[in-house]
Amino acid sequence: MGDPTGEPGSSMHGVTGREQSFAFSVASPIVHTDKTAKFDLPVDTEHKATVFKLFSFSKPHMRTFHLSWISFSTCFVSTFAAAPLVPIIRENLNLTKQDIGNAGVASVSGSIFSRLVMGAVCDLLGPRYGCAFLVMLSAPTVFSMSFVSGAAGFITVRFMIGFCLATFVSCQYWMSTMFNSQIIGLVNGTAAGWGNMGGGITQLLMPVVYEIIRRAGASAFTAWRIAFFVPGWLHIIMGILVLTLGQDLPDGNRAALEKAGEVAKDKFGKIMWYAVTNYRTWIFVLLYGYSMGVELSTDNVIAEYFFDRFHLKLHTAGLIAACFGMANFFARPAGGWASDFSAKYFGMRGRLWTLWIIQTAGGLFCVWLGRANTLVTAVVAMVLFSLGAQAACGATFAIVPFVSRRALGIISGLTGAGGNFGSGLTQLLFFSTNQFTTEEGLTWMGVMIVGCTLPVAFIHFPQWGSMFLPPSKDPVKSTEEHYYASEWTEQEKQKNMHQGSLRFAENAKSEGGRRVRSAATPPDSTPNNV
Amino acid sequence: KPSREGAGVVLDAGIDKISITWKLSSTGSKKEAEFKTIKVKLCYAPPSQVDRPWRKTHDELFKDKTCPHKIVARPYDKTTQSIDWILERDIPTGTYFVRAYAVDEHDHEVAFGQSTNEAKTTSLFSVQAISGRHKSLDIASVCFSVFSVLALLVFFVNEKRKAKIEQSK
Repeated sequence: MGDPTGEPGSSMHGVTGREQSFAFSVASPIVHTDKTAKFDLPVDTEHKATVFKLFSFSKPHMRTFHLSWISFSTCFVSTFAAAPLVPIIRENLNLTKQDIGNAGVASVSGSIFSRLVMGAVCDLLGPRYGCAFLVMLSAPTVFSMSFVSGAAGFITVRFMIGFCLATFVSCQYWMSTMFNSQIIGLVNGTAAGWGNMGGGITQLLMPVVYEIIRRAGASAFTAWRIAFFVPGWLHIIMGILVLTLGQDLPDGNRAALEKAGEVAKDKFGKIMWYAVTNYRTWIFVLLYGYSMGVELSTDNVIAEYFFDRFHLKLHTAGLIAACFGMANFFARPAGGWASDFSAKYFGMRGRLWTLWIIQTAGGLFCVWLGRANTLVTAVVAMVLFSLGAQAACGATFAIVPFVSRRALGIISGLTGAGGNFGSGLTQLLFFSTNQFTTEEGLTWMGVMIVGCTLPVAFIHFPQWGSMFLPPSKDPVKSTEEHYYASEWTEQEKQKNMHQGSLRFAENAKSEGGRRVRSAATPPDSTPNNV
Repeated sequence: KPSREGAGVVLDAGIDKISITWKLSSTGSKKEAEFKTIKVKLCYAPPSQVDRPWRKTHDELFKDKTCPHKIVARPYDKTTQSIDWILERDIPTGTYFVRAYAVDEHDHEVAFGQSTNEAKTTSLFSVQAISGRHKSLDIASVCFSVFSVLALLVFFVNEKRKAKIEQSK
């Protein structure tokens, strides 16, 4: 598919053989490679990478990727570190089922608030500081498990540790500044998925660390406290790495760029307004509560469930529980990839259908998990459920960057917060009381997932359409520029504050699907890099 | 019987002892010939099972979670047996009684006796668990926390200073 005007760079995709596969790179004449930029990876006009090279640490794009997902993963490890150790902790602290359930709710509730704040922080200060501050200031909360002596302390500490899950927002935001929109689904899905893996890693890590400390001579009720030092140290290490090796934007750090006048400072109130008045934001808040939310709830209850119901040993239950969280390694990126793949042919409508199908399937498998009576069927159902829920998370964030350009940080934050809210709600409803056994709780949670996924049908973009409706026929409203520029007032447009949004709109045209790509001739206004 | 008597006495795990004595009951047992080993266990009384489904009593013995703590297992002989047992350090806080199971050579329980009545309301004793906390742990925890916050502040201040220097250039 030759490029008629011979725009340098666009015909080079795939030629070097270094690009891994189609979905890992942008091979479309719509996205114009900026050849004046000096980066290890090919970049577009915003200097975002158009290629995703997994095993590279090249500065700044891939380095950002690795710093981002590892620090996010560390936060998952510490937030869910208590879950596999509950059988020991419940005896030390004399907890009841309600206490354990409430602690689980608390562990995901803190970040509802912190994710919202983090969205604003990223918009205003940059994702690097947001991440580092959070990770290092939450290390003390992890260490404070050594002081806990009863239910109240346990719930409080789990609540405080949970704040650090806001690194999700800085992670996704950071990826969006570094990678082009055509591969953002895969990139964000991989970064977040590998981060979420921490919830699985911890189910294996903590029982093993606990066992080692026990064998070294500590009594059971001391050993679990010492075990918490491991996630605490990880926080400190990752915080230092992010500060020393990371940068906010492809061209440098935010503070330096702002002072140099290259990045316009925006007003919080305005950003908040555009985030909150966009109805799509709220649908995503709900949806994410039933993909990510149920994943978090399951992270909290699944080890204890297998331990108690199927009479397994602590580390066996931990191993099975780990499989749930570890499926994120490929499940979430797969969801992002599936979204990118369907966008290739069907544009945004494909992305929406993909999301609905995957998330609903996850809900049905969750129902099956609750009804499984043997260990084998339970494990199979659990794995399928994990694939569905986690791929749905990836597919969600493949769409979120397109909801708004100006308020991306806040919308990511709100959506992330919705995830935690959904988790707190499902734990409260189904897993904290004596009304449902855990297996009944899982079944009802599955039903709720299917119901709460239906609103995807209402998400409509005038330029691209929705699940059941085509794009608008209006010649003005059906352009990407109109949608993204409408977030700026006339005065702001006169000051040229909306340039970033226009560049984004240009790069986002590929969401029109196959009809747009096959009609592609680069617009005459494209700068020819001669 | 616990080493200290009296209403409201709470035994400390890791410190206090209980003395347990067991023998075949005067009414005898039809299955006495099958007794191979006597397993003595520490069991949760009903107050400690409330709101804690992982300690539930089940009729099916392999599902029953009432008596998870092993005290001793001795081969059966017809004489009276006794033991002084120090409450181990991983015993949780709660109310307890003692049960002795007689198992046959296939490790199936064939009979049992317990230190309380059928309704599990008499002769119960309370145990207070160790806290698991240690001063050295607390101190280490504080040290690492302070280090984390300080390291962050040092980096932050340093970078702001460098940015100011850049800007003034």
